[in-house]
Amino acid sequence: MNTLRIAQECFLSLNANKLRSFLMMAGTIVGIAALTVIMAVGKGTEKKVMKRVNAFGTHAIMVTAGGGKGFSPPQEGITTLRLEDAEAIKNEISGIEVEAPFAVKMGMPVKAGSNQVQTIVMAVAPEWHDAFDWYPSDGDPVTEEDMATMSRVCLLGTLAAKDLFGQQNAIGEYVQIGNVRFRVKGILQTRGVSPMGDDFDSRIVIPLSTGLRRLFNQDYISNIRVKVKDPAQISSIADEIRRLLHERHHITPPAEDDFAIFSAADVAKVARGISGILTLLLGALAGLSLLVGGIVLMNILLISVGERIKEIGLRRALGATRRDIFAQFLMESILITTSGMVLGSIFGWIITVGLARVTKMTPVITWEPFALALGFALLVGVFFGVQPARRAARLEPVEALK
Amino acid sequence: MNMIELENIDKTYVTASVETRVLKRISFSVQKGEFLSIMGTSGTGKSTLMHILGCLDKPTDGHYRLDGTDMVSLNDDALSHLRNNKIGFVFQQFYLLDRATVLRNVMLPLIYTKEYPEDAKEQAEKLLAAVGLTERATYRPNQLSGGQQQRVAIARALINNPALVLADEPTGNLDSKSGADVLAVFQKLNREGRTIILVTHDRNVAEHANRIILLKDGMVAEDRVISSPLDADAESRAEAEKEMSK
Ligand SMILES: Nc1ncnc2c1ncn2[C@@H]1O[C@H](COP(=O)(O)OP(=O)(O)OP(=O)(O)O)[C@@H](O)[C@H]1O
Ligand SMILES: [Mg+2]
Repeated sequence: MNTLRIAQECFLSLNANKLRSFLMMAGTIVGIAALTVIMAVGKGTEKKVMKRVNAFGTHAIMVTAGGGKGFSPPQEGITTLRLEDAEAIKNEISGIEVEAPFAVKMGMPVKAGSNQVQTIVMAVAPEWHDAFDWYPSDGDPVTEEDMATMSRVCLLGTLAAKDLFGQQNAIGEYVQIGNVRFRVKGILQTRGVSPMGDDFDSRIVIPLSTGLRRLFNQDYISNIRVKVKDPAQISSIADEIRRLLHERHHITPPAEDDFAIFSAADVAKVARGISGILTLLLGALAGLSLLVGGIVLMNILLISVGERIKEIGLRRALGATRRDIFAQFLMESILITTSGMVLGSIFGWIITVGLARVTKMTPVITWEPFALALGFALLVGVFFGVQPARRAARLEPVEALK
Repeated sequence: MNMIELENIDKTYVTASVETRVLKRISFSVQKGEFLSIMGTSGTGKSTLMHILGCLDKPTDGHYRLDGTDMVSLNDDALSHLRNNKIGFVFQQFYLLDRATVLRNVMLPLIYTKEYPEDAKEQAEKLLAAVGLTERATYRPNQLSGGQQQRVAIARALINNPALVLADEPTGNLDSKSGADVLAVFQKLNREGRTIILVTHDRNVAEHANRIILLKDGMVAEDRVISSPLDADAESRAEAEKEMSK
């Protein structure tokens, strides 16, 4: 085919002038490399973000007693978060699907026979199961009746069950938490690592009333877990909760809060970290490189058309049509940008692998950036190649041969 | 049969409101198999006429028929195809691509042919052999002497087996020995039946043809047959001896 033969000519011409070809390629190389890195980093980050958000709960807001930045465990000795606060939130704020107050104690000693562990014990309301989407895989959940009777029952995380009872069936057995004996009524589903970094499955859950009165001996709670109906409203509901608690706790900003609110949106923000800014900067670099590279490409091509007027005239004399000449120069442009794209993708890929080595980022390499890069390369090649190609094709053979 | 028929060809250039009438009512015909020289001093319109004959340019007025087809009415694409398969060009400046090998240069017109011959490479090699450059097939043009480059250009002009070969001052940039070699190639081609039109300002070059048309002020001043053309082969041998005895 004629087109194929012309493409061969392009290759020959680009190969003959390597420095010029490289200069024409440079912008595309940088642009595509940046694009590849962005996509890989972005993909990796989103994966990490989604994992964190999912672990936290996509619909979840957590109110924690005590100030503190980020998502931290409740501060010991903060007594200001109360069941009445939870009650008020439930009554006064709409858009909440379920709300569960609970109290947490870290490092509680737990015994079963000769086995002993120290772990987190959570005293929870029955709604807690729904609020966390965390149910017993075996046995029964915490119920209203447990609450009313302050029954001494508990549910074990799978790891806690294993540490305390080995392979033995724990349900119906007894454990001693602090000085109180509890009957194991259920085993919780395996859940994995918590957003705080510890293992959910080593935790133990007891009824809230039992915990407050019989074990912890306190009248305050450490957390309120809220699950909203619509995740789009998560930020506004979090703001309303903050306002309500300010009012109830008589806090006027800028005075420091005695509670912290953390939502799925905050989790995503923290997880994204600086990669958002990085993506923005690299995006600007990619766009700018492709644009500037395209303009450079066009200008060098225009110069090259000028330098090659004789060649164009000769080709016309030997039988090239205007379309053949147009095709040759356009294909040179496209060949430049697609070669640049291949090199850029390789560089981008190398940089991505390097980034994965030296930073905590976990870039993900997929086929999409390469497809996108090819699209961009063709676009830039065509867009900036048309003008020079048209100029070349417009030349009159006699004029060109002068 | 007349291969070329020119009838009252006029060419007028208009630049910045100045009109230059370069060709004035040129009429002549060329038969298949002729070797014609178009001669004239600088600026008389030889190249202009050759561009019209080669369908690189159109006359302002008049008729040009090639093998019975009216060239003036054809569009750009049709003329391009016609140049590709009917006409072979040889220029004073050779116009070879230095980035390609000699062999590839010879094959250049094949890029634009409708049907790429399967034995393209063999054909090109055969033509290089005919101009005595078999050994130089893989060279770059800038590694060759002027005479060798011009012979590459001739091989290139012949690759599509054109009915007509047009040469504009093909020996203009060559020394006398190389010039004689190039002319010898043309004479051989003509003996094999090829129609050749050679443009030159040099009477000694022109007289290698069978016929000379003399242009003066854009008009045909003289049209005569050369009964005994100069023998380029003999001249080439004589030049070689001169070199030897030096
Ligand atoms: N594009 C053009 N515009 C205006 N005038 C032109 C153009 N091309 C050629 N001419 C004029 O036409 C005349 C003939 O030019 P042409 O090139 O045909 O001469 P020539 O016989 O080939 O001369 P030489 O032997 O020097 O090559 C010259 O006077 C030239 O200035
Ligand atoms: Mg001339």
